[in-house]
Amino acid sequence: MAVDVVRLEADAVGRQAFDLLGDPAWWWSMVVLALAGVTCVMGVLYALMQHDLKRLLAYHTVENIGIIFIGLGLAMAFKANGMAWAAALALTAALFHVLNHSVFKSLLFFGAGAVLTATNERDMERLGGLIHRMPATAFAFLTGCAAISALPPLNGFVSEWLTFQAILVSPQVAQWGLKFLIPAVGALLALSAALAAACFVKAFGVTFLGRPRTGAAEDAREVDRFSLAAMFILAALCLTTGVLPGPVIDFLAPVVQGLLGARMPVQASVPWLSIVPIAESRSSYNGMVILVFLTCAGALTAMFIHRFATRATRRSAIWDCGYPAASPTMQYTSSSFAMPIRRVFGTTVFAVHEKVDMPMPGETRPAHFHVKVLDPAWRLAYGPLARRVWSAAQRLNGLQFLTIRQYLTLTVSTLILLLVAVVLWR
Amino acid sequence: MALIRDIAAQGVQMFLVLLVAPLMLGITRKVKARLLRRRGPSVLLPYRDLWKLMHKEAVLAHNASWVYRVAPYLIFAATWTAAALVPTYATGLLFSWSADLIAIVALMATARFALALAGMDVGTAFGGIGSSREMLISSLAEPAMLLIAFTVALVAGTTQLSTIAAHMIHEPVGLRVSLGLALFAFVFVAVAENARIPIDNPATHLELTMVHEAMVLEYSGRHLAMIEAAAALKLVLYFSLLICLFVPFGMATADKTPRAIAIAIAAYLAKLVVLAVALPIGETAVAKMRVFRYPVFLGGAFAAAALAVFLLFVSQSF
Repeated sequence: MAVDVVRLEADAVGRQAFDLLGDPAWWWSMVVLALAGVTCVMGVLYALMQHDLKRLLAYHTVENIGIIFIGLGLAMAFKANGMAWAAALALTAALFHVLNHSVFKSLLFFGAGAVLTATNERDMERLGGLIHRMPATAFAFLTGCAAISALPPLNGFVSEWLTFQAILVSPQVAQWGLKFLIPAVGALLALSAALAAACFVKAFGVTFLGRPRTGAAEDAREVDRFSLAAMFILAALCLTTGVLPGPVIDFLAPVVQGLLGARMPVQASVPWLSIVPIAESRSSYNGMVILVFLTCAGALTAMFIHRFATRATRRSAIWDCGYPAASPTMQYTSSSFAMPIRRVFGTTVFAVHEKVDMPMPGETRPAHFHVKVLDPAWRLAYGPLARRVWSAAQRLNGLQFLTIRQYLTLTVSTLILLLVAVVLWR
Repeated sequence: MALIRDIAAQGVQMFLVLLVAPLMLGITRKVKARLLRRRGPSVLLPYRDLWKLMHKEAVLAHNASWVYRVAPYLIFAATWTAAALVPTYATGLLFSWSADLIAIVALMATARFALALAGMDVGTAFGGIGSSREMLISSLAEPAMLLIAFTVALVAGTTQLSTIAAHMIHEPVGLRVSLGLALFAFVFVAVAENARIPIDNPATHLELTMVHEAMVLEYSGRHLAMIEAAAALKLVLYFSLLICLFVPFGMATADKTPRAIAIAIAAYLAKLVVLAVALPIGETAVAKMRVFRYPVFLGGAFAAAALAVFLLFVSQSF
């Protein structure tokens, strides 16, 4: 559902920008690009701070919106400069990402739903080790995690690659503001891609890997076949659109043509199923060859290992330098995984407040650790607004305790005021 | 016939990087030992280590899942693929167009993703700390690396490595401020990505300083052999990238006769050895950094690369 809403919004903005408003002025794209770049990084940072699996995915959608809007903003900038071919590239990248996002985010939400059904738990700090109990869900979820982290040969990488290629043609825009903004947005996009990988290593690693942290995780059962089938179809789509992006780009071409009057070069005519961003460009990417190379390299290695190395394997207790953690709760958790990133990026952006309550030696009470993460949108926009509304309501509260005469006066004076207003209006 | 020759050239590239990788690791260790006034092991020790590890029993924890067992193959395959697609001795190899610089960076991210997950699989505190710090380092290094990619792409007009190398050789590129800044940033990123001092110490087993070693702490036998081989390959990959982007001179571009190719391979190997000697010299001169100093180190790389890109956006002549 959420994914559909996102797609609709992006579609609506895309149509408004290119259809209804006619020719965009170049500075509109600056507003869009700046907002999109900041949204990207803030979204993924906020997702990293979450330990509720579904909330993490929902916040991560914010990052994807940012990526889509970077594509739209670039398309507006290029269109304002009369570079229709580059605008087509950027718009295709945005639409491709909309499509990709609808595939892998649905997959991940299905996965989170499966975890919720199996364990009744959304808090990652209380999960762990689910890969043993739910192997099929784990595999599908891992595919989604890899795709959303923009790893080749899956589909998330293709749309990011196209966006980067669109950024690389941008030195040709005329305005200085854009010349400075676009590379900065490119850097923000790169940062958010790297942070997304960290976010999904955390999501998958804490939920599915390691040892179960609670009984609920220990007793999880694999979900039914229909749920699994849905996830596997989406996972297969992640792979196929990743290795065969050409047909998808050609499929999107009529839309781009309709909005901009230009399109990316026909990908079907490019040899070996590669994709090229612009006609005269010398850059290309081929997911299929990457997949074949990975498979061949993996198979060769496996053959070599099985031919020349010993296959002796022994199962044993955990090593961990000789001091394995006694309890599964002593594993790295979601908040400890995010700690370095929280320290580096969070203290300024989110006003992160960490409080360690360590008992004195000899005291028997448990130690406590609290982390407070504040979204700047709350601190700077919603918070003050809510406070204003609250104080206004407090002041107006006095109106509830007037005498009957005062109420009558109020009613009559309102009536007179409105009548006067009507007379003046006429 | 031409196709067979092309495939052979690609194959030579693929196995060349694989074969020289442990040797380069051996040279860095030898030079480092000499700088510390030790004799140091033979430069061939990494080969023997790999062979020895392959013949040792692999010990898995009871709760190790398939991710733990598959990850070494994936890490090795992704690193090897990336290393095979960076032009080393010749440009315009058969598959050189299939992945550009951005895709190579992303392939390294694939390997890192698998490694970080493998670190978390058994559920130990060390594995978690290693994965967590590795992702921090990558989230700081990857943007810098992509800005470096932007810089060279803006100079050469493409992100295709083969074309970039040919451009640097044949066009009058000259000494450029932007490329100098990009090289500076690249060295920082390469040091961080390869877990070298001052970011990480490849020789340590002191818990508080481990990053890469902490993630692979549980591994043994053939799995460890593959991870070590992948680490060696990654070092050669970054050396090759540096050579390809900044000093591609000597590469066989148009002339593909056996003589030219032999000269090009010799030139490539010579450049690799120079880098393998230079790396430990740099490492010996600095001290290991605290974890929360990484942002300063990699932020410097990011700033330099960003400056290079801004300069190129202002004017193509920088």
